[in-house]
Amino acid sequence: MDRKDVKKWVKEPGKMGHKYSFWVVYFCTGCGIIEVPPVITSRWDAERFGIIPAATPRQANLFLITGYVSLKTLRPIIRTYEQMPEPKHTIGLGSCPINGGMYWDSYNTIKHLDKYMPIDGWIAGCMPRPEAIIVAITHLWTLIDKGMAKGYVRYREQYKYYRANQEKVLGRLEWPPLFPIKELKAQNG
Amino acid sequence: MVTQVFEIIGAPILAFIIGIFFLGLFRKIIARVQWRYGPPIIQPFLDLIKLFHQRGFSHGPIFDWGIILSLTGSIVLILFIPFGGMCALSSSGGLLVILYIMLFAPLWFALSGGEGANPNISIGISRKFILALGYEVPFLFVLLTAMSYYKTISIVDIVNAQENFHWALFSPLFLSGIAYLMILPAILGVRPFDIAGAPQEISSGPAVEYGGRYLGLFQIEHAFSLFIGIALFVDLFLGGGGNPVTFFIKMTVVFILVVFIHAVFPRLRIEQALRYLWRWPVAFSLLGLILVLVMR
Repeated sequence: MDRKDVKKWVKEPGKMGHKYSFWVVYFCTGCGIIEVPPVITSRWDAERFGIIPAATPRQANLFLITGYVSLKTLRPIIRTYEQMPEPKHTIGLGSCPINGGMYWDSYNTIKHLDKYMPIDGWIAGCMPRPEAIIVAITHLWTLIDKGMAKGYVRYREQYKYYRANQEKVLGRLEWPPLFPIKELKAQNG
Repeated sequence: MVTQVFEIIGAPILAFIIGIFFLGLFRKIIARVQWRYGPPIIQPFLDLIKLFHQRGFSHGPIFDWGIILSLTGSIVLILFIPFGGMCALSSSGGLLVILYIMLFAPLWFALSGGEGANPNISIGISRKFILALGYEVPFLFVLLTAMSYYKTISIVDIVNAQENFHWALFSPLFLSGIAYLMILPAILGVRPFDIAGAPQEISSGPAVEYGGRYLGLFQIEHAFSLFIGIALFVDLFLGGGGNPVTFFIKMTVVFILVVFIHAVFPRLRIEQALRYLWRWPVAFSLLGLILVLVMR
């Protein structure tokens, strides 16, 4: 943790600011949300690291999807993600958004969330412990340091891919494309 | 002349630093009351750095300019408030000008938010103005009492009259002082009166559509409003302070009192708040006014 490193603050204030001031939208899709109250209250006080729940997606810069994603909730998830100001980061919590988890054969559940929106990191487990959220945040710090937490850039560059996937499961989307649809670039990480 | 220019530049910067410090103290004290460790005391400043590095969404020209003009209103107001012996625009206006300009910040802020066209914004704005209707009545009585007791409209003269521990809080004005303390949480917008920006009910009210640097400007505006509400109380009732340090200590004491009230009370509904504000503070301030007029 390099929050007290003044040299880094002077050198790249934006990056450091994003690291130590996460305002989080906790998207309550499933059972995972029950792990969040211990994290933000007295037991594992996440406010020590500047992590507080945001009231609206406009004010947030971290998006936590906690639990399985049904077809019905995918639409508000995408809309919420698109309303957040850049730079923004996303974390999927629990095994359901990763590969369907225990809903792997459900007809009504999204199996791989990262086909529909970019995800910067996963917290595996069913359920993960509340500490895992803080561990994930420390990993996200490392990714931001290395410039690898670029999900929002990926979303902009390869919007055609994501939009096509969204339309495949949701049918016609009633909002216009967020970004001009470009041809896909070669995928290299 | 040179000192006045220096004060005009310095006062808003000082108010900014103190307001941001108060926001940090606020979060720290709330955390300690809840048996948490809490964020570092400079966390609001780190938040500001982040917010100004984030892209914001605009909803139109009034959305952009409203928040800037609201900030301007607060900065101009700060120039009229004596801060421990220094007051940038001391010779002109006084309390009447302060009364006038106090409306600027919420008004422009409401206009700015209104462009966002989110239903939560209109609910928040209407709540804010109903709350203002509630606390403006006792506030006007309090100022009227202070003006008629010291026979001046100049806030600098009021501060000077309270030198050598002749604080207004321990004079016939004490009833008005109590009334001001009762409406102080409403002026600052903290619990039990955080009705306008209730994050859990209406998603932080007028600030719903603010993101990125708009939210940063909103935070600065919030810090200024904290400074103004408390500085007015210290100037009117606690003798103002001979130098900035004693003034700052007095402000901190009053602020910590307000934070403790914030930490233990739930949020009132709007009609409960209005009933409270028009009953007890108005009663106290009216009694104070009558007392001062009789004793004069």
